[in-house]
Amino acid sequence: MILTGPAIHESVEAGQITIAPFDADLLNPNSYNYRLGRTLRQIISDPTDPTRPAETAVIELPDEGYVLRPGIVYLGATVETVGGDEYVTSLIGRSSLGRLGMFLQISADLGNLGSAHQWTLEIKVVQPLRVYPNMKVGQVSFWKPTGARMPYGGLYGGISEPTACSPRAAAGLGAGPVRQEAAA
Amino acid sequence: MILTGPAIAAQVKTGAIQIAPYDEQRIQPNSYDFHLGERIGWYTNKVLDCARENPFEEHAIPSEGMVLEPDRIYLASTREKIGSDFYVPIIRARSSIARLGLFVHCTADLIDIGSFGQLTLQLHAVQRVRIYPGLLVGQVTFWVPHGEIVLYEGKYQGSEGPRPSLVHRDFEAR
Repeated sequence: MILTGPAIHESVEAGQITIAPFDADLLNPNSYNYRLGRTLRQIISDPTDPTRPAETAVIELPDEGYVLRPGIVYLGATVETVGGDEYVTSLIGRSSLGRLGMFLQISADLGNLGSAHQWTLEIKVVQPLRVYPNMKVGQVSFWKPTGARMPYGGLYGGISEPTACSPRAAAGLGAGPVRQEAAA
Repeated sequence: MILTGPAIAAQVKTGAIQIAPYDEQRIQPNSYDFHLGERIGWYTNKVLDCARENPFEEHAIPSEGMVLEPDRIYLASTREKIGSDFYVPIIRARSSIARLGLFVHCTADLIDIGSFGQLTLQLHAVQRVRIYPGLLVGQVTFWVPHGEIVLYEGKYQGSEGPRPSLVHRDFEAR
């Protein structure tokens, strides 16, 4: 079952869902609008390789906007910390951005129970598109799971900046030492 | 929970799900197949801007088809008007269409409960692909909500045909 806007609101107030900062004006009938953080990382490596750390370049979005180019994967992050132990989070783009040909993730919409962080966005555009920091770009929805829970042991769910593919995470290895690798 | 095909058919009969025109032949085991409408549009500028209205032109899709190019975002719509005040619709491509490398939305698959109209499709072709009016392009699924329902009354309500982005209104409101 997918939570309605009022159910998301109640769950945030009850502490079952983390959305921080939270603004009730950003609630939709069955989702919550998230905003685009100011920092992007552009992947430079060509070809990219899941067994090697990717070379990236940092882009700070100026207030007057920045034109994203087709053919490049940009990693961004949500302004909001999003997650929780109770409901499964799914992240998509807003239709207003889809109508401009902007992807906010690349077929990886599903979050993990137990993680709460600023989500890394995998951004690509079909045509050049000027985007702005803090604009409302996408939506998260929350889904009721069934079954026993297990602790979250992943890497990315504890990191709140745009994070490139980690070779250890790509190989399916646990989070402990990887966090240090990511911080280094 | 996702509705099965027979559950979708039953909810169409009660009016809890609206699909018009509706054809029971298009019911699938857990979705309903929708058609591409007759109109398509695109932005006339190459570089688009979220903060400004982007000029947009609309055309009929010729009956002999038209080729979509990879470097342009095209907006079309479902032929059907689709919506529900009781279930959450989610749209996606039919796998036959995905196997041609055609996206029918750009990461915007979730429809607000209470919205009703021809859904705008965001067509992106990985390789050149020819499309035709009335093509069976996608599927809509229906999901059970949890919590009090507040119906959509947003800027795309009652859409007919492709509707360009209105995101620039967010900036005008500032």
